[in-house]
Amino acid sequence: MSYKKVCLLYRHPDYAIDGIRSALGLAVENMYAYGVVMDTEIPKLDELTQESIEMLRDMEGEVYSTVPANVEKNGFEALTLEELGEKLRDMTHIIPYGLK
Amino acid sequence: MKILNIYKSAPDETVQKLVKIVTRDRESDSFDLNIEKPDYDVLVDKIFAADQTICWW
Amino acid sequence: MAKSLGIFVTTPGSLNHVIGITKAAKKKGSTVKVFFTWKATTLAKDPAFPGLCELADDVSICVDSYKKQGFSVDDVPVGLTPKKMATQAQHGIIIEDFDCYLSL
Repeated sequence: MSYKKVCLLYRHPDYAIDGIRSALGLAVENMYAYGVVMDTEIPKLDELTQESIEMLRDMEGEVYSTVPANVEKNGFEALTLEELGEKLRDMTHIIPYGLK
Repeated sequence: MKILNIYKSAPDETVQKLVKIVTRDRESDSFDLNIEKPDYDVLVDKIFAADQTICWW
Repeated sequence: MAKSLGIFVTTPGSLNHVIGITKAAKKKGSTVKVFFTWKATTLAKDPAFPGLCELADDVSICVDSYKKQGFSVDDVPVGLTPKKMATQAQHGIIIEDFDCYLSL
């Protein structure tokens, strides 16, 4: 059985946190789920969201960001736009999430 | 692998760059949703013909 | 046989597209499932929403998102049943069980 690989892309701060929750929902369903915060700086995440990210990591998922401030503040994995593009080539599903 | 790129607005530089990488050496098609009356019949045919559909912002 | 289509809706301005695509897909004999999440759950209160529920084979919304948008769980939108006030597992079903996937 081949597992689905899903990447959700967030470009708007109002959608990032729920989008991370959505990625976690897919990981729970036995998929490889990743989230990427692009372009936008988001506030420091609350404990509940941090816990969601930890759970996502436990299920081999990850949250990345192309914005250094998010990496420093929230411990996301750093990713350049080019690296993101290459990563997306490996995905079965690419989901630009919410508004930009 | 055939990829369908759908655009809900004119693709900015970021989207253009990602599309270029994702579709490299692959067959691709596109559909502009950012018009007054999109032809949904044509869009659905394109979705059915594609292996993967990405609906960009 | 027409391919099945799952639609994951995340943006609040997309209902016309969802309806247009669902209509076109149904005309081609497709099975269509739609799941609304986060701010898009506000679309369940749009006057056109009950029409979509009749058109598609299955429509559900994320109940947690709906609550966070300020609605009561008891306020079941016209066209849905309490069972269709669901979880993100519906998104998983769309990805796993449908031939074609679209996010809007």
